Amino acid sequence: MKIWSSEHVFGHPWDTVIKAAMRKYPNPMNPCVVGVDVLERSVDSRGRLHSHRLLSTEWGLPGFVKAITLTNLVSVNERLVYTPHPEDPELTVLTQEAIITVKGISLGSYLESLMANTISSNARKMPHPKNQRRKKERTKEKKEGRRKGRKKEEISEP
Amino acid sequence: MNSVGEACTDMKREYDQCFNRWFAEKFLKGNGSGDPCTDLFKRYQQCVQKAIKEKEIPIEGLEFMGHGKEKPESSS
Repeated sequence: MKIWSSEHVFGHPWDTVIKAAMRKYPNPMNPCVVGVDVLERSVDSRGRLHSHRLLSTEWGLPGFVKAITLTNLVSVNERLVYTPHPEDPELTVLTQEAIITVKGISLGSYLESLMANTISSNARKMPHPKNQRRKKERTKEKKEGRRKGRKKEEISEP
Repeated sequence: MNSVGEACTDMKREYDQCFNRWFAEKFLKGNGSGDPCTDLFKRYQQCVQKAIKEKEIPIEGLEFMGHGKEKPESSS
């Protein structure tokens, strides 16, 4: 189990960023995300929209891991909060927190660190809404084993 | 973008289109009441929940790092 958090500032106002975030996938900069589903969605008494989403991911593993018997589930629970920058309304702050769990293998802590680094760099990969294409990209089939990962994501707005 | 349940992908896309339109044209302009996508969402949800059970994906409720969920007000 690894707890990880990070902050990132986008150079665009909140409205622009949140529209892009809602349509973040498919994302040519992160082809590992192969499915997105909304599990729950509602507006609370303060007018905030809560979305609980399930992201299906597939990613290749280093060759040496292939030999080890694995369960096929990596569990990532994330919370993302997008807010206008307190000092500049033309900017948006993303605060991201994640709990990562890899079940049933001795390399759990190594893979959890690997995932935390990947999540951190993926937070920045936001395609521009105007350039976003619906065309599906084929990812290269790797010879090493593939794992299916599940990610839960919750977006709250102020 | 696909759904976790292969049979749900079309329903998901229909719902997504409806939601994205409402989100950009109503919610972000201060009019968050009246969700026109409820029926589409119900149909899509039935399919997804079934797929999640079949694939045994663990999605039990998560109190995330001490941030409990507030009670949502009905959006329809």
